[in-house]
Amino acid sequence: MSDIANTRAGFRDGLVALAEKRDDIVFVSTDSVKVVKAEDFAKRWPERMIEVGIAEQNGVAVSAGLAASGMTPYLCTYAGFLTMRACEQMRTFVAYPKLKVRFVGVNAGLFGGNREGVSHQFIEDIGILRAIPGFTILCPADGDQVKQAVLASADTEGPVYIRIGSGKEERVFPDGTPFRIGKIRIIGSSGRDVALFCHGFVTNRVIRAAAELEKAGVRATVVEVATIKPLDVAGISEVLGKCGCAVSIEDHNVIGGLGSAIAEVIAEHAPATLARLGLQDRYGESGHPDELLDAYGMSTANIAETAKALVARKKQGLRRFRTEQA
Amino acid sequence: MADSARIRKLEEQARQLRRDVVDMVHKSGDGHPSPSMSVADIVTAMYFDVLRIDPSRPEWMDRDRFVLSKGHACPVLYAALARRGYFGIEELPTLRSIHSNLQGHPYAPKTRGLDATTGSLGNGVSVAIGMALAARMQERDYRVYAVTGDGELGEGLIWEAAMCAGHQKLANLTVFVDNNNYQSGGTVGEVSGVYPIKEKWEAFGWTCRMIDGHDMGQILDAVDSARKEKERPSAIIAKTVKGQGVSFMIGDNSWHKRIFTDAEYASAMKELGGSK
Repeated sequence: MSDIANTRAGFRDGLVALAEKRDDIVFVSTDSVKVVKAEDFAKRWPERMIEVGIAEQNGVAVSAGLAASGMTPYLCTYAGFLTMRACEQMRTFVAYPKLKVRFVGVNAGLFGGNREGVSHQFIEDIGILRAIPGFTILCPADGDQVKQAVLASADTEGPVYIRIGSGKEERVFPDGTPFRIGKIRIIGSSGRDVALFCHGFVTNRVIRAAAELEKAGVRATVVEVATIKPLDVAGISEVLGKCGCAVSIEDHNVIGGLGSAIAEVIAEHAPATLARLGLQDRYGESGHPDELLDAYGMSTANIAETAKALVARKKQGLRRFRTEQA
Repeated sequence: MADSARIRKLEEQARQLRRDVVDMVHKSGDGHPSPSMSVADIVTAMYFDVLRIDPSRPEWMDRDRFVLSKGHACPVLYAALARRGYFGIEELPTLRSIHSNLQGHPYAPKTRGLDATTGSLGNGVSVAIGMALAARMQERDYRVYAVTGDGELGEGLIWEAAMCAGHQKLANLTVFVDNNNYQSGGTVGEVSGVYPIKEKWEAFGWTCRMIDGHDMGQILDAVDSARKEKERPSAIIAKTVKGQGVSFMIGDNSWHKRIFTDAEYASAMKELGGSK
């Protein structure tokens, strides 16, 4: 539990690793140097560190100009100040002309925003960006995965959004585990009773829920969907086809994020039943990060109970189906 | 001071671009004619004198950049690009039509020679700042020019950009304000209370000059002065007339976005020295 894998530090380390190798890497700060403790970057590459002050729209449009002139800017600030305040700049001036600007949104989710409260807790960022053509959207699970995602996405065409947190995230994967853009990852063994789709800082909770389910005789497949766009439709469909029912767990509004994405795959490609855990179209509040996730339906117990209920319904449905056939 | 032959040539070129604007808006049946007219002399000075560009190499990294932040005036920019040979003049009437390379507002990936995607007001100065910063990082000596409207100065982002460029001491950046004193809903003074303009730019650390935006000599002189700046970005407030060149468009703000009848088209072309 106490094994911290700070996602803000992960971003900074990835950025430094890239800047050591390439001279096109620029850090655009909207007074966010301290937010990600990037003083080292600012000291080592002062000419490639652009401070625009607390002015997110300007930061995004300046980044568009940098990218249009051969640089690869990384702009990091609070997830909502990017995706809401500067949403139009991200769409019209970056995504539409297919420019290679990299956005890193901090304080994503209740866990990321924790004690700051709703103004700094962003549960809509993925939904907003999923509706904008051309974005690659990445939701790494821990600090080193953020670093790997930064490295993996450096040459991705068009804009990239990487969702990170407050810096208090738990480790999920061993350091150095590669981050593959566009592919799901099955964590642990594959069970055929229920699929548990997740990403980000709820991943350990889902892994623990799967272990509890195992003890209760329910075999789950834990699926990390760290690339929310472009979505691995084939991979997700295959898991859904095997399991027939699924729970999505995300620290985001259930509208627009992972749960919606899985529901779209189910509707178009792979019929299954689905329960969506996450913010039930409501705002959070201030609190300790783990308490918030527990209080808003993302406790290990609730994930396991939701999965059990779905599996029971599936079995009931199968029995009814067989009775009707007979 | 620019010599008179050079100026006469540019003035004739500007008349050509104005004819192109009237022609393409008429044939396409859509577009913003009078905002194009007010900025036509600045665009002409840029593409036919000031900018270091090579139409055979639109991606040349050392080229000067031009950002039309008031993107709705793109008919005159498209005309300039076509007349410089970036694409054929016969493409101009496809403006705003399906499958055209000439979108209703500038879209860089589709239009050869176009440096920036714009149209949503208030953003172009920031984009130009990014380009100017890239020049500094890459140790290139290209310059970046942008044009905003005056109504556009109501956008808060303009002033975020003004603060940023002044703070960054971007002497390689020049921004024209096309001060035609009109926006869609009326005069700028009535609608948005944006005046005084000059003092605002100066307060953000810019050098600011006021010129007649239809006087080619003044445009070239202002650009020359801007080039000599060592530490400060330059703002050039260009006093202009919306619809300049076609008398019936002047003072009638309905020409912000309006199409010509055949008679109006003929009259406008005649006044601009066209054959029809």
